Amino acid sequence: MAAAPPPGPPGGGIDIYRKEVRSSAPSRKKAAGSMKSDSIIPEDAIPEVHIPGFIESLLGGPVVHRQKYLKPDGMVRNLQLLSYIVLGGLGILTYIVNPPDGTVWRTLAPSSGLATLMHTLVIFGAILIGGIGIMRRTPQSLLISYALFIFASLRFTSSDITLAVLSNEAMFQSERVKEMLVIGYAVSLVLFFELSNGVLRFSMLDTSIRTNEVYVMNIKRVVSKYRRSLILNPLIAATFAWFALTMNEIIPAIVSIFSDDAGERLRESVELGSVYGVALGTVMVFLVIGGVFALDVPGRLATMRERNS
Amino acid sequence: MYLLGLTLRNQQLVTVAVVLFSFLTYAAWRSSHADVAAAGQRLEDSESDEAGQALRGLGAMRRLSAQRIFEDGEIEIELRVQNKSRFPKTVEVRDKVPEVMRMKKGSNYVLMDLGPRRETTIEYTLECPLRGFYSIGPVCVRIQDTFGLFHKEKELHVYDDFLIFPKMEDLKDTFVKSKVPKIFTGAVQIRNPGPGTEFFSLREYIEGDTFKQINWSAYARSGKLMVNERERDAVSDIILIIDARAVSETGPVARNSLVSSTRAAASLARYFLNRRDSVGLVIYGDEVISVDRDTGKKQLYSLLTKLAGAQARGETPLRVVINRLLPHINRGSPIIFLSCLEDDPTIVDSLRDFRARNFDVTVLAPSSADFEFDAKRIDKVGFEVLKTERNVLINELRGLGVHVCDWEADMLLSTALAGARGF
Repeated sequence: MAAAPPPGPPGGGIDIYRKEVRSSAPSRKKAAGSMKSDSIIPEDAIPEVHIPGFIESLLGGPVVHRQKYLKPDGMVRNLQLLSYIVLGGLGILTYIVNPPDGTVWRTLAPSSGLATLMHTLVIFGAILIGGIGIMRRTPQSLLISYALFIFASLRFTSSDITLAVLSNEAMFQSERVKEMLVIGYAVSLVLFFELSNGVLRFSMLDTSIRTNEVYVMNIKRVVSKYRRSLILNPLIAATFAWFALTMNEIIPAIVSIFSDDAGERLRESVELGSVYGVALGTVMVFLVIGGVFALDVPGRLATMRERNS
Repeated sequence: MYLLGLTLRNQQLVTVAVVLFSFLTYAAWRSSHADVAAAGQRLEDSESDEAGQALRGLGAMRRLSAQRIFEDGEIEIELRVQNKSRFPKTVEVRDKVPEVMRMKKGSNYVLMDLGPRRETTIEYTLECPLRGFYSIGPVCVRIQDTFGLFHKEKELHVYDDFLIFPKMEDLKDTFVKSKVPKIFTGAVQIRNPGPGTEFFSLREYIEGDTFKQINWSAYARSGKLMVNERERDAVSDIILIIDARAVSETGPVARNSLVSSTRAAASLARYFLNRRDSVGLVIYGDEVISVDRDTGKKQLYSLLTKLAGAQARGETPLRVVINRLLPHINRGSPIIFLSCLEDDPTIVDSLRDFRARNFDVTVLAPSSADFEFDAKRIDKVGFEVLKTERNVLINELRGLGVHVCDWEADMLLSTALAGARGF
C-alpha cells in the first residue's frame, strides 16, 4: 500500500509532492494591468492632425499661423523696442501726411470735425493694435494694424501732397520737404512691417532653438546680417522711391540738354508734376530693374565671381 | 496699392507702393532670385539640377552608426555639409528623417553661416520606435534673404538606408510542443516517452532499465521499483503565420495588430530557434510571402528582415494561404497564427481544416477594438459590440480545439501564450 505523502516540511520549505492544481488560467487581465510590455509610443511621437476649417480650405491654409512662443530673449526684446519706436514715428507721420480730406469717412460724416475724429481714431487704433501685436507677438493684431494704416491713407486727393498739420509752417511750404516727409512715412511703414515681422520670425527662431527643433551655428553672424539689412534695405528703398518721385525733375533736366524749350515745357507740365509723373518715374526705374533681372545679371555676376575664384 | 494710388491720385499711397516694391526688389536681388524673372519659372521646376548660383558649391555626406537595429534602438547620424564656393553662405540645412523617428539628441535642422571653402558636421541621434525599412535623406538646403521674403531651395540627393527589426520579448516558455517526433533529437519535448532531459512519468521497473533511471524515493514510498521516464526531445517544425492584411493596421500607427504580431513573431522565432527548432514564416496581405523552415542564427535574421518589411496591404483570405501551405508542412507541427481575426469569413473553416489534420494551432489575436478604444476612436457602445462579436468568434474557434488568446493591449506575450494554452 502506498504510503501517505509526508506532511510539509517545517519552516515553510517546498513540498515537492504536493502539487497545486489550478482550476483556470491565471488572470490575464490582472497581469495585463500590472505587467507592461512597454510598447506605448509617447504622445509627442504621434503627429497631430489639423483639419482645416471652411475658410482655410478655400484659401488653401490658415491666414495667420497660431503659434506659442517662449519668453522673448534679448534679440526679440530689442526688436520689440525698435518696433515701438518706429510705430510711434509712423503714427505721427501718418497723421501728418494723411489729412482726413478725401477719405471715406469724410464723405459719410456730417461734419469735418467728426471726420477728423474718426480719422484720428483709425490712426490711433492702428497704433494701439500694432503696439498690442508687438507686445503679445500676435500676427492677427499686427495684420489688423497694417490694414488700418493703409486704410488711413486711402483717400481721393488732388495729386499734390497735402499735409494735415504743419502746412502753415514755413519749413513745410517746400515741395522737397513734403516729398521727404512722404518718403519718410512710406519707409517707416515698410520698416514697421519688417520689424514687427522680425519680432515674430525671431521669436519663432528663438523658440525653435530653445525647444531643440533647430540648431543655429554662429548665430551672431546671422543676427549681424539682419541688423545690417535693417539699415541698408530701407535706405536703398528710399533711394529708389526718391528717384521715382523726382522723375518730374530728372526728365526735364535730361530733355533740357537737347532742347531748353522742351525741357522748360516739361517742367511746367501739370501731368508730370502730378501723381502720373510719379507713375512715369516708377515705370522708368523699374524698367531698368526689370531689364537687369530679365538678363539675369545677379546670377551672371555670381557665376563670374565663382569662375574667377 | 500702386494702382489704387494712381486711381485715387494719391501720391502718398503711390510712394508707399514704390517703397514697398523697391524693398521687395532689393530683397529678391540679394537672394539672387533673378531666375524667376529670367526664365519665368523656378529653377527647381526646370530640368536643370542646379538651383541657381546661390546654392551651387554646397555638398553633403552622411554616415550612420548602424545599418540594422531593433525597435526602440538609437542610431547616430553624422552629416557633413561642405561649402566648396569661395563665398560665405548662410544656409538652412534640414536632413529629412522618417516621420516616425524621434529626435533623441542634437537636431537635424540647422541654420548655419558657412564660411568659404569650409565644412561643418551636424550630429544627431534618432530613436527608432517602429520596425521597417527606412531611408534618411535627401538633405534640403535653403538660402533666404535676411527678411525671409524670398528663398531658394535645393535637395542634395544623399540617401542612406537602414533596417529596424521588431523588438523582441524574452520568453521563458511558450507551452508549444510538437506531437510528432522527428528524426533528429533536439531540445524540444514532444509529449512521448523517450530519450530526453525533462521528467515525463513514473513506471514500474522492467528488465533492461538502468539503475540510474530508478526513482529511489518512489521505491521507498511504494515498495516497488519505479523508474523515471523522460519526455522525448525532438526538433520541431514551427510555422508562424502573420496576418498582414490592410485591416491589421487598424488602430494607432504604433499600436495595432500588425505591430504586435510582428513583435510576437520575432520573439517566438528567437525562442524556437534557440531551442534548435526549425521555424518557417508566412506573411500574407496582398501577397503571400513565406520563408521556408530552417534553423540557426541566419534564419533568425531572414525572419526578422521579412518581419521588418511586413506592410499592411490587401485582403487575401486565410483559406488561400492554407491551401498553399498545407502540402508543405508536416502533419502535427505546431502552428502559431497571429491575426486580429477581422474581416475574413474563411478563418473558421481554415482553422477547422488545420485541426482536422491534427495540427496544434495557437492563435494570438491582438484586439484592434482595444487599440481603437484606447485611442478614443470608438465609443463605449461600439467597443462593447465589437468585443461581443469577437468573443463569439473566439469561442467558436476554441470549440474546434484551437488555442486562442484574445490578446489585449499591453499584455505581455508570455502572459498571452500562457493564457492561450490554458496555463
